[in-house]
Amino acid sequence: MEPVLEQALNLPLLLEQLRGEDGLALLLLQLFPLFLVVELPLTLVVVLGVLRWWIREQTLPPRRSLYRPRVSCLITCYSEGADVRKTLETLCEQTYPGEIELIPVVDGAAANQHTLAAVRGFELREEWRRTRRVRPIAKWQRGGRVSSLNAGLSMSTGSIVMALDGDTSFDNTMVSAMVRHFEDPNVPAVAGSLRIRNTWTSLATALQAVEYLISIQMAKTGLSEWNLVNNISGAFGAFRREIIEQLGGWDTHSAEDLDITLRIKSYFGRHRQLRIPFEPRAIGHTDGPTSMVGLLKQRLRWDGDLLFLYARKHSGSIAPRLMGWPNFLMTVISGLFIQVVLPFIIVGYTAITAITLPWPTVLALSVLVYVVYLVVLSLQFLLMLLLVSERPQQDVKLLPILPLFPIAMLLIRCWSAVAILNELWRRSHEESSMAPWWVLRRATRF
Amino acid sequence: MARLGWVSLSPALAPPGSVEGLELNTFPSLEALLEQPQGCDVVVLDGPPEAMGTAARRLRADHRYQLGLIYTSRAGDPWCAALCDGELPGDGAAIATAWQQWQERQPLFNRGQAPEGVDQSLLCWLWQRPGAAIQPVRDPGHAQIYRYPLVEAITADERLNSDGWLRQKEQENLLEGGDLIDRIRQCPACSSSRLNYVDVCPECHGLDIVRQPSLHCFVCGHVAPQQNFLKGDALVCPNCLSQLRHIGSDYDRPLENYRCRGCGAFFVDADVDVRCLDCCDVNQPNDLRVREIRSFRLSEAGALACRQGLGDNGAIGSYFRRLKLMDRGDFLKALDWQMAIARRYGRSSGSAIAALLGVRIENIEQLFVDVGEARATAMLEGLLERLQQIIRDTDRCMRGREDTLWLLLPHTSARGLDRVRERLQEGLERIQSSAGAAELSLKFVGCVLPEQIQDDENAALMLARLAGDLR
Repeated sequence: MEPVLEQALNLPLLLEQLRGEDGLALLLLQLFPLFLVVELPLTLVVVLGVLRWWIREQTLPPRRSLYRPRVSCLITCYSEGADVRKTLETLCEQTYPGEIELIPVVDGAAANQHTLAAVRGFELREEWRRTRRVRPIAKWQRGGRVSSLNAGLSMSTGSIVMALDGDTSFDNTMVSAMVRHFEDPNVPAVAGSLRIRNTWTSLATALQAVEYLISIQMAKTGLSEWNLVNNISGAFGAFRREIIEQLGGWDTHSAEDLDITLRIKSYFGRHRQLRIPFEPRAIGHTDGPTSMVGLLKQRLRWDGDLLFLYARKHSGSIAPRLMGWPNFLMTVISGLFIQVVLPFIIVGYTAITAITLPWPTVLALSVLVYVVYLVVLSLQFLLMLLLVSERPQQDVKLLPILPLFPIAMLLIRCWSAVAILNELWRRSHEESSMAPWWVLRRATRF
Repeated sequence: MARLGWVSLSPALAPPGSVEGLELNTFPSLEALLEQPQGCDVVVLDGPPEAMGTAARRLRADHRYQLGLIYTSRAGDPWCAALCDGELPGDGAAIATAWQQWQERQPLFNRGQAPEGVDQSLLCWLWQRPGAAIQPVRDPGHAQIYRYPLVEAITADERLNSDGWLRQKEQENLLEGGDLIDRIRQCPACSSSRLNYVDVCPECHGLDIVRQPSLHCFVCGHVAPQQNFLKGDALVCPNCLSQLRHIGSDYDRPLENYRCRGCGAFFVDADVDVRCLDCCDVNQPNDLRVREIRSFRLSEAGALACRQGLGDNGAIGSYFRRLKLMDRGDFLKALDWQMAIARRYGRSSGSAIAALLGVRIENIEQLFVDVGEARATAMLEGLLERLQQIIRDTDRCMRGREDTLWLLLPHTSARGLDRVRERLQEGLERIQSSAGAAELSLKFVGCVLPEQIQDDENAALMLARLAGDLR
């Protein structure tokens, strides 16, 4: 990998070589090793993991357990308004026979009166009263998502704590599917699967639906088999209470979900039996940004925060001694390399190709790259449909979107470079909308 | 000088040394007061609110203190309010004044005779306290929830149903209902208000019913109880076998029914049965007896009866019956009947059907002030005797307000009406000549049926119209 990187960065030499007779061949030669070295192994890890999961699912006898701990759902609400009721209703509808404590925390309740009214007006049906309880918290002063979660944690009584978003609704088997994993004392947290709820609102949401299916539902299922889950989504994660208390709750700054995942993972080196499973049968449905601009804004935040966490806040904790070798490699390759370095390589490659090669060649090369990506994507999608998806009939309708997906991903990858530069120069994580400036100002700087 | 008995109901409370203008006797307990052969004129109870309430009940049950003035030294409980004359009105002079007024009213009751029996005692208690009322007290421990402590205390020996007694006196027109305090439901069998309202199966009236939510599968439209859908942790439609994952997009809850565990009936609304906790009788809510809880005051007729004598064994009714005095409801019915007859047959018969005469004593209040209560009473008595001579067996009377009398005179024409008016005026002059300077002035209004009935008029409207002319 090192020589490839060095070569890629030695621009004058590279440009000279590309202008030569074997320019195209050289480019191909350099493109494909990159793809083979980085992306293909990762895809293989995922595919093998998915196959392993599928075989295990098919052969395991049905599970029956009397393990029914009380579950506290911390639902962070801000300006969702009446949508919060849908979230609360789907949580009450859970088939889980144990107790579920719903704690909707309305942040900035003084300004978000309509959300507060929706939470207060929510009434439990007669048949829910025995096992479901609603304890709303009104945080009058806005304090950000982290403060909502910590406030909810201090009021909750369940031994399993779920961090959920106010605009996310859930399938009725979610809690029982998630809680099952905690029966194993070595599980400190479980990641849940997210789907896009407003799939057919616009092209942007349809593309996100494909993205969530491939990169969350399928990828995490595969990674989970090797205990390599990269992130527990902030909109949907479950934690054992002791581990959260051990960690001192959620920490200020944006991307608190990746932060807490990395902090849990830094115990993996010392306690090798610990694992964070991903449950593909626990589904949350969330609303994605409906416009392309909205989507890009969201990614500007996410990808910027990524660099902040990997490179600034947790640079010290990404070490094999703390995380164990598999997770260390995974974080370096999928986190640092693919998500931080690769965008620049892609932008550079595209630029160099466009500058140095004649247009027909550029076009041919683009088509080649596109076809390769589309084939790999289609195979992944097929695998996802056949093995992982619990709603294959619904997901198969996304097939017409697939040809557009590689293009959208290229765009988003390029945009990641912008986001990372934004974080590098402007410390964009400090202007996050996830917490007010007066909170971020006082947070520890990294 | 009136004897004031000061009863300290708590050892911590010291009685005053003296009360100006009154002969003060202090008692360390209620027993000490009751053992005194010589009763006190005015009693003051001093102690905690509940103790004062209990003491007031015992005092009113004692024959000597049934009617007298009983004050409390501080605000008491509702029992005190119902039984006593309130908090101390002030210093000795104020108590002495109140005692004096009480004493002055006593000889006016029932022509100076001492009250005999329960009826007269209660009426006398009200007579002695103008504007006072018999107040109910809420007692959740009692089967009927509301009690009338004064009636219970005074009738303690006779074990009278206080509510029944009050209703009877109201029907006799001696008492009138005051403020409506509450409306309660009672068991028709035992009159208890300790009732339990339970939702039961409409088929077998069994108690063991459960709410049974149903689900509606969007895939095939199947609707069935939720129980049939539960397969392990998942909801699976028993009809089309598709898994229902998310409410709103896969399924919803179309109805919430009840199921009887006894007979298996499936129903939307449960019936409500009322079970009496005292006698175990089971009724429908509509079959319960509705009772209005009111305070009771002396009615105008009652006040008149107290003033003019209640007669032997409380036969005040017979005195009025001689006057053919009816209560308002009956009189209106009779008048309505006469109006109906007049409308139907009046035109054809050629003769008058009936006439209505209103008589108002214009200056009754002034009269009492000018000549004193005794003289004024005598004059009114004379007027009523005269009236008695004039009216025929077939005539009927009703008192409107205290100063108004209505006469329904069947088979009376306009000329007949004038005759009655003239004879009354003559009688009045005779009374006045014997009474001297004072003058009783009467105002009349008359209406002959059917000539003077207005369109769409009923008895109540006609009375209201004529009463307006009398003002």
